[in-house]
Parts: sequence; structure tokens; C-alpha cells
Amino acid sequence: MFGYVRPRGDLLEKEEFAAYRAAYCGLCRALGKQYGFRARFLVNYDMTFLYLLRASAAAPCETALCWCPARVCGRKRCTLDPESFGTVAACTVILSYEKLRDNVRDEGLFKSLPYRCLSVLFRRAYRKASRRLPDFAALCAGQLSALHELEAARSPSIDATADSFARIVSGCAADIQDTGLRRPMEQILYHTGRFLYLADALDDLKQDCDKDTYNPLRYRFQVIDGALSAEDLDYMTQLIDSSVNLAGAALELMPGKAYGKLLENIIYLGFPAVFFAVKAGKFQAKASLWKKKPKSETTGDTK
Amino acid sequence: MKDPYEVLGVSRTASDSEIKAAYRELVKKYHPDNYANNPLADLASEKMKEINEAYDAITRSRGTSGSYQGGYQGGGQQSSGSYSYGGGSNSSYAQVRAYINANQLDAADALLNTAPNRDGEWYFLKGTIAYRRGWLDEARQHYQTACAMVPSNYEYQNALRSVQGGYTPYRQTSYQRSDMDDACNLCNTLLCLNCLCGGCR
Repeated sequence: MFGYVRPRGDLLEKEEFAAYRAAYCGLCRALGKQYGFRARFLVNYDMTFLYLLRASAAAPCETALCWCPARVCGRKRCTLDPESFGTVAACTVILSYEKLRDNVRDEGLFKSLPYRCLSVLFRRAYRKASRRLPDFAALCAGQLSALHELEAARSPSIDATADSFARIVSGCAADIQDTGLRRPMEQILYHTGRFLYLADALDDLKQDCDKDTYNPLRYRFQVIDGALSAEDLDYMTQLIDSSVNLAGAALELMPGKAYGKLLENIIYLGFPAVFFAVKAGKFQAKASLWKKKPKSETTGDTK
Repeated sequence: MKDPYEVLGVSRTASDSEIKAAYRELVKKYHPDNYANNPLADLASEKMKEINEAYDAITRSRGTSGSYQGGYQGGGQQSSGSYSYGGGSNSSYAQVRAYINANQLDAADALLNTAPNRDGEWYFLKGTIAYRRGWLDEARQHYQTACAMVPSNYEYQNALRSVQGGYTPYRQTSYQRSDMDDACNLCNTLLCLNCLCGGCR
């Protein structure tokens, strides 16, 4: 996925940071257990957020020390929650596979070769995940096809294009039966999907202008030298703020607060911080969260 | 019924003033004004009801007065986050609002598209449908048109404010952004400087 949905690690308490890391490692472990070793490479911050949301309504799960392939010696603490991780791992595999197929469609024959190879490697895992979540797999395929049509038609609507992606992300909660839990979660995930799509569009704007490929921002705003004007960037920030507000309002209505502080940090602080970095052209998707020290380990600055 | 102390997030040994403070905090968070136009307004309304019932149950069991004067009494049009059409000549607008309140957005949109005139109310309702769908760019454009056509309408202005970002009351102060604080501090400093230089005469 993208890696845009992440907490402000430096503003988390030590225990919250440890809980986030344990959830990340727990997802990695679940991916490895269910879909083979190579599926561990699909773990990402975005899907860790999905796990935290799904698990927030339940009581906190146990943790245990687990073997970590990233550490040759030593183990890491990971959350043990087979039920929630099972669903999140299936969503991760389906979304990652669809993204690979999307890249195959977008790139030329030569440039798409790595994506083709990777999609072949993950095809088996995708089939297994699709059997677990057939409705979600169908929703992904349908919405991505709708998104392709909008892109082919050079749609100037950032709402319509973001909607297709946001529906996919909100579909990750469609299997939940309890409407009191599902509805707020769907609203949070819808606006998370919107945020992901718009942040990615802004991040790729220069590159898309150089390559002359589709980007909804090129058709919605006036783009000069691969960048938006300061006024349009402010407008985009206000759209993101509105999404943060709607996601935050939904979060308040979620029953259960097992990961409440973490989720608040991601939505209220993580989203704006990431968008701020994207606007400044300084966002690094591969920048590790684990190098930052949590709040309680730093002194002085609390912002 | 849920444990009222659990609903208010206080311990059984909490003092009356602590319970009142927790109640006021929750009322502030789930107040219908914070969920006006929000697709989840009905859930917020249920939550408010639960909080009021829990507070009443605790005050009754402790033998203190249950009629907390500073509290939210509920009721009224705004409490459910619903719309009522207050005027105009087009009766189909009332039906569109009814569809919106029932979250039947496709039906509301289809009916609205058949309206012969496109006045301020039309753009406001179109914006509301877009807002409820999460189409915030489109919602903002429609709200701006509605406000430009009928500048004196507070409902349209409030709706426009809701898509102009900013920070809503349920957000805790600890989650205010630092760059926003800096901007406010700068504005305050400039205002003070202006006053000191005689700009407030």
C-alpha cells in the first residue's frame, strides 16, 4: 500500500508506541502464517491502522515474543489476535495484489515486467484470500475498473476518482455485522481512503506531469511546473481537514476504546503531518517509524 | 441497560462534582451541533440519550437532583441532526430533505435534478447530498454557490464552514496542530503590535 496512514511516533507514549509496534509485528506474523513467508513483505502501516480499528472494539489481546525475520537474532513482541488479523491479512493480500495488477495495466510492456513477476508470486495467496473474503475481492475489482474508466475519460472530479478508492478501503469493514460498529468504521475508512488517494495524487503530481500521465489534480486545478499554487494547496489542506473531522467524529462513536489514543494520534496528528510533508515534497514513504523515539523517551518538546 | 458509571467513564467512588464534570465533557463531545449534517447524526443522538439516562440514573440513585440545569436537555429539531424545510415555493425541496434525513441520497439527488429552477436552496441541498456522500470538493462548490445566491442564510453559511476545514469542538485541545497554533500566535502578535502602534484608535 502507500504508508501514508501512520502515527506521529514522537507524540506517542512509550506503551502506545509498543502497542502499535506489536500490532504491526502481529500483522506481519499473521501474513507469514497464512500466506507464506513472502507475504510478510506486504505488511504496512496502512493495514496496521485497519487492524487497530477492527480490534479497538474488543478487549486488548495478549502479546508474545515472536521470531522476526528482520532480526537474525532475537525476537519481537507481537499481538496475538488470530480472528482480526485473519481478516486484515486477507484484505492486505487482496489490496496488494490488485495494486500490482493495476501497475501492470498502467505501465508499458517492459516497465511492467517486475509487477508481472510479483503478481505471479502472489497469485496463490490472492486466491486464498479471495476465498476468505469473496465480496471484498469483487468490490476491489469492480471499483478499480470504475476508476480506470474515470482515468481513461480524464475525469476532472477529484471526488469521483477518490470515491472509487475510498469505497474499496471502506469495504474492509463490510463484513462486520454490528451496525453500531460498522457504520462509524466505514466512515473512518472512507475518509482514510480519500486521504490516501488525494495524498498520493499530490505526491505523484510532478512525476505525472513529466510523464504526461493522468492525475486528477491536473484536471481539477491549474498546475504550473508540476505544482499547485499556494491557494490550491490551502484548498486541498482544507479538504483533508474536513475528512479528518468526519473521521474523528466517527471515531468518537466507535464502541470500545482499546486503541483509542493510538487511533486519535493517527487521525488527528498523523494525517495532517503526512499531508504537510507531502505538500512540502518531503514525505518519504520508506522512512521507518521505528527510528523515532516515543514521547516519554524524549525530553522538552511535546509537539 | 449499561452500567451508568461505565457510560460516563467514572468510578463508583467518584464525587458528585466529578460525575457532573464527566457528564458535561461527554455532552460537549456528542452534542448534536457537532454532528449536524453528519451521516452518523442518528448514532450521536442515541449516544446523547444514553449519556442523559446514565446521568439521571446516577443522580437518582444518589438522591441528588436529577435536573441538571447546565446539561443538554435534548429534543428539538437540531437534536437528531435532521433538516426541515423552512420556506420557498418548491414543495419538492421538503421531500428532498426528507430523503436526505432518511439517508436515501440517490432518491434525493434524482428528485432534486428534476427541479425546474436552480436557486440557493437547490445548491444547498445538492451540496448536502455531496457532503453526506463524502464528496467534499463538490459539496463545497455547491455551498459556495448557495451562499453567493442567498448571503443572509445562516444554514448555508454553517454548511459552508463545515467543509472549510478548521477544527471541530469534539477534538481535544491536545490534538490541535502546532502549525495552526503558530499561525494564531503570529496573528495575535500582529494585532497587539497594531494596537500598540495606534491602529486601534
